[in-house]
Amino acid sequence: MGQSAMSVGAAHAARIEGSPYGIQSKKLAIWLFIIADAATFGAILFAYGYLRLANPGWTKPFAFSPTIVNGMVMTVVLLTSSLTMVAAVAAAQAGRASTGVRWLGATMLLGLAFAALHLREWFAMIGEGWRLFQNPMGGSPLFGATFFGITGLHLLHVICGVVVIGVIALGFRRGRLDAVHVETTALYWHFVDLVWMFVFPLVYLMNVR
Amino acid sequence: MTAIAPHRAPTMKMYVVVWIGLILIVGLEVFLTYERLPAGTLLACLLGLALIEAALGVMYFMHLKYERPALFWSLIPYLVFALVMMDHFWPDALRLMRQRMQGP
Repeated sequence: MGQSAMSVGAAHAARIEGSPYGIQSKKLAIWLFIIADAATFGAILFAYGYLRLANPGWTKPFAFSPTIVNGMVMTVVLLTSSLTMVAAVAAAQAGRASTGVRWLGATMLLGLAFAALHLREWFAMIGEGWRLFQNPMGGSPLFGATFFGITGLHLLHVICGVVVIGVIALGFRRGRLDAVHVETTALYWHFVDLVWMFVFPLVYLMNVR
Repeated sequence: MTAIAPHRAPTMKMYVVVWIGLILIVGLEVFLTYERLPAGTLLACLLGLALIEAALGVMYFMHLKYERPALFWSLIPYLVFALVMMDHFWPDALRLMRQRMQGP
């Protein structure tokens, strides 16, 4: 029985084809998720573009200070979090678990700083009278819907990313998860960073006074 | 058995160079914004720079440059095709809005 099961297992293993991409299935899965999510962000950015074109009197509310300065700081924070993330992956792959966890912690802190800066900006705008369908400057009420919709979806990704990094860091520290889990999480985090590279110019810089 | 390729990755120095490059591109975007270019020109410049940033991030931070080419060719053309199709069909939505029948 035991030998028979082993021979069946060996025959089955011999028939399994090699990975066409040379990567583990979890890494391929996150790549497929990223491509699907990129299409989602692409769709809402296209929708925003066409709404903007369809409304000639589109509101341009953003001043250099505080909004654009705040946006630049947020961008640098997010880019730096990508750098700490690659350091975490490098440490995890080299077998330096404690260093990897420390870099993951730094990435979480930077992610939280980004979220805090973003929420501070949101609350300031809400204080000025901006709502999803309310424009205190008298222009198209769709500005609030597109701004809060696009940046809110991105912020949701950042917050989810911070939570996931925390879970992965905990599992990695306890030895339940390996370096590929860290690398897979890093792919998601870099993707969130790259989406911001489109949100900042299209939603912020195209709407400066 | 599944053949997993030995992992190659850029050095930390290369990551820092890419990070500095990305920050410089963001600075360039803000500079161009205040050059008061026509809206279409500014949009083209910002989109072009954002695409360069995305390419740098995907190739280096996300290691796509160091994976088998099959992964790139399976993922990126599909995404580009989907985005081009969106760009192609979104104007149809505006055309349909104009074709609405007027209420009584």
